[in-house]
Amino acid sequence: MKENSLKAFLYLAPALLLALLFCFIPLGKAFIGSFLTISQQGRILGFAGLDNYISLFRDQAFLSSVKHTLLFTVLFLPLNTAITLLAAALLKTKRRFTAAAEYIFITPLAFSLSALALIFKEIFRGRVSIINRIFGLSIAWLDESIPAMIVLVILGIFLDFAFDYLLLLSQFRGTDKSIIEAAEIDGASGLTLFFRIELPAIQNMLSAVIFMALKDAIMISAPVMVLTEGGPFRSTETIMYYYYLEAFRSGNRAAGTTIAVLMVLFSILIMSIISRRRRDV
Amino acid sequence: MSKIARPALIIILSLLILFPVLYAFSASFFTPQDFTAENAKLLPSSFSLHNYSLALSHRYFGRYVLNSLATATMTAFLRTAISIAAAFAFTHLRFKGQKILLPLLLSTLFIPSDALLYENYITIARLSLIDSYLGIVLPSVFSASAMLITIGAYLSTDKDIYDAARIDGCRDYRYILSILIPLTVPSTAAIFIQAFINSFNSYLWPLLVTTRPKMRTVQVGITMLGFAEEGEYGAQFASIIVITVPFLILLAWGRKSIEKALQGRITA
Repeated sequence: MKENSLKAFLYLAPALLLALLFCFIPLGKAFIGSFLTISQQGRILGFAGLDNYISLFRDQAFLSSVKHTLLFTVLFLPLNTAITLLAAALLKTKRRFTAAAEYIFITPLAFSLSALALIFKEIFRGRVSIINRIFGLSIAWLDESIPAMIVLVILGIFLDFAFDYLLLLSQFRGTDKSIIEAAEIDGASGLTLFFRIELPAIQNMLSAVIFMALKDAIMISAPVMVLTEGGPFRSTETIMYYYYLEAFRSGNRAAGTTIAVLMVLFSILIMSIISRRRRDV
Repeated sequence: MSKIARPALIIILSLLILFPVLYAFSASFFTPQDFTAENAKLLPSSFSLHNYSLALSHRYFGRYVLNSLATATMTAFLRTAISIAAAFAFTHLRFKGQKILLPLLLSTLFIPSDALLYENYITIARLSLIDSYLGIVLPSVFSASAMLITIGAYLSTDKDIYDAARIDGCRDYRYILSILIPLTVPSTAAIFIQAFINSFNSYLWPLLVTTRPKMRTVQVGITMLGFAEEGEYGAQFASIIVITVPFLILLAWGRKSIEKALQGRITA
């Protein structure tokens, strides 16, 4: 047993060390730091109590970043869920030409965030953009706040779509066929069969996908950075983009650590809901 | 769903998904005038590989790709090795603290690394790893989900083989290398590919920990090639196509094993 323990720790050492160094220690540092007053150079000036939290919630720029993040989430979550669910439902049974579509639906996985954002910048480039030409519109997409937010939402869907779709597809295909056949014998078909039998059968995975998308939406930062840089007029500045600006550009440690702690707490909340649901899968 | 609606929807969705890919491909042949044309164009006015030769002869482009390949390979190898070692310990060995360490490591799944960017940046800076491959790679090497997939795969292997191998005097590392890994190729390949793609495509962290142009990864680099400033937008798209096509091929080839690994994760 003793020799075994030593051996086990040797096998686990790299994983433990890295988790400690890049997850638990920084988390502890951010947590403690959020209750301290720290100078830009990193010197501890004193205990701040809840002051950092209070001043964060009085910070207009932070509050509007919360508003933008919520707007993004409200637009992104239903659209993303509907489209990924539709895609998975369309391909759940293999037919003649589904193999090609199955491949096409996962091609967004091949694109990196920055490549996709650069392509989107061109597709939605002002009034002369290709998207306006195709749909006969005249919208200055990235120069107006609401259209810029919509482009960000579409980019977000492209980034999440393939993975969510794959999860739902494998769940659809893993559903016990006998239940569906039984329902068919009882005369259920088409949409009734889908909404009454097949959809409830995957509801746990569906809610896991929705909560993961919710977490992605609330945490969105990198797409903002490449696509809009928070603009126009700071209208697409999200919480995590604001965190990046404060922590790395302005050297505002108080705001940085405080936002970090709040976002970790939020993420823990979401993930515990997911894992509770997962257990029933 | 009716017989016409389903294929029609599949085709519409496919076109929507393919549009950015196809547009980028088409734009990679555009001349500078094509981009500024009164009416935005779908197809290039003439066919020329000029943009590709511009992209490939950019003084840093090759270096960016090399950096990305090196860091992605390092991440994939290290993450796979660490996941295998940890999963082996959790599934094949009995030791004190097993019940505490597994939940502890899995709890990292709950903590978003994006929220710890600043603290991790300080750590990497203190270790003087700014502008180094290790600095780009280290924070993302351990992945609880990769470990979880590996544990799932090892749980389904037959423990009698391990006992028999031990009786025959087989050392643990030999058992892992010659029996366990060959038995679990699909899941090992899946976490390797996933780690490679994740790392190759990451943007934010490499942006923060690299300052010298020579050390940038290609995802950071393509936003800084400077083609757009010179009006050579086409070369920008050519470089996007150059780095994306290998992944499109990899996806076509590895689609089945990714799907299988996902199914494994659901049942695990």
